[in-house]
Amino acid sequence: MGVFSFEIVREYLPFFLKGAMVTVGASLAGILIGSILGLFMGIGRISKSWWIRYPFIWYINAFRGTPLFVQILLIHFGLIPLIMESVNPLVSLIVTLSLNATAYIAEIFRAGIQSIDRGQMEAARSLGMTHVQAMRHVILPQAFKRMIPPLGNEFIVLLKDSSLGAIIAAPELMYWGRAAQGQYYRVWEPYLTVAIIYLILTLSLTYLLNYIERRLDTA
Amino acid sequence: MIKVERLKKSFGDLEVLKEINVEIKPQEVVVVIGPSGSGKSTFLRCLNLLESITGGKVMIKDQDLTAKGTNINQVRTNVGMVFQQFNLFPHKTVLENIMMSPMKVRKWQRKQAEEKGLALLRKVGLYEKAHVYPDSLSGGQKQRVAIARALAMEPEIMLFDEPTSALDPEMVGEVLEVMKELAKEGMTMVVVTHEMGFAKEVGDRVLFMDGGYIVEENVPIELFEHPKEERTKAFLSKVL
Repeated sequence: MGVFSFEIVREYLPFFLKGAMVTVGASLAGILIGSILGLFMGIGRISKSWWIRYPFIWYINAFRGTPLFVQILLIHFGLIPLIMESVNPLVSLIVTLSLNATAYIAEIFRAGIQSIDRGQMEAARSLGMTHVQAMRHVILPQAFKRMIPPLGNEFIVLLKDSSLGAIIAAPELMYWGRAAQGQYYRVWEPYLTVAIIYLILTLSLTYLLNYIERRLDTA
Repeated sequence: MIKVERLKKSFGDLEVLKEINVEIKPQEVVVVIGPSGSGKSTFLRCLNLLESITGGKVMIKDQDLTAKGTNINQVRTNVGMVFQQFNLFPHKTVLENIMMSPMKVRKWQRKQAEEKGLALLRKVGLYEKAHVYPDSLSGGQKQRVAIARALAMEPEIMLFDEPTSALDPEMVGEVLEVMKELAKEGMTMVVVTHEMGFAKEVGDRVLFMDGGYIVEENVPIELFEHPKEERTKAFLSKVL
């Protein structure tokens, strides 16, 4: 065990940065796809018809109640080979993150929608709006504002959890950390560097989110 | 204008409306009074089907609300409602609150909706508040905006669900003034209220409800001065 070798860090830095881009890209894709699917699932989750509600509730239960690690393996080695001819770890990672985020975001949307006073829906309906119009023009605009903090939180969690992609060799940040570790049998240099890069990413995100929240507050 | 036949409403095992029969003529102002829990708000909310009905019939202009083919959204455009808690849309300005449903439901052009909105704001005395958000208004102002918002759909019937109950006492008057004005213009109104003064002055008829029934109904002066039923007497002795 020698002193901390900056040589290793320097050699792997381009790969770490490339990996960080993949990490950001995959989490961003996950949060975007998860938000779109999560919106529909969150609304379906509170549907009055049980045959719409129950599949969504069980989807949410399944994805929140099992480890992301297990989901990645099941999707990469099980689900994706069933539906695609060639298997790409990055695709598997994005699919897993999206499906997982969908479950959490559906709950964020549900909570956001249900936090709006029911008098708002009643007022909108009493004016002749349909349920869909009332949702679109009255409920959701108010709910979205309340969803921003938990959505930001989910984004941060997703960004960190994307490191599990290393296990299926998706070339994200942690993958390159493990690669460096495997080449030099060193622990501190690769893992500490990777940790610091994750920290920079999540802190930047936190500041960005705080900024957005402040802007929305004054708007 | 409104015809209610054998209306029943239950929440689970709780029977809130046992049997309501009433007919309301065009331009009539009907005031509904009664102790809390008597079902008067539920009754009002059944008139535009904000509450689904358990039995019986509600007809608005000869249209059975629960009949197959009835478009309830269509009916509601003709039945304005004002709530105890105002229920203004906090993310929209006062004017936008009023313009929203004419534009989204009636598909009016922005300009037409804006003119209508400003005219209504002038009518309720809040023209200068057009571009502020509801947050910055007092309770009385909020309720006047809510009335303007309902009127923007040009309804023939207005329902008022305890419109002054959430207001500070000094603001009750300004809201009642607007309602009196409406009554004078010939609006058909059903008003659930604890304002007995308003009932006497503006009401054409008063319904006294208790225990899910209309116990007694009469012109205000008769009902207040010479109540026939024991329950009416007991209630009036407490509130007058």
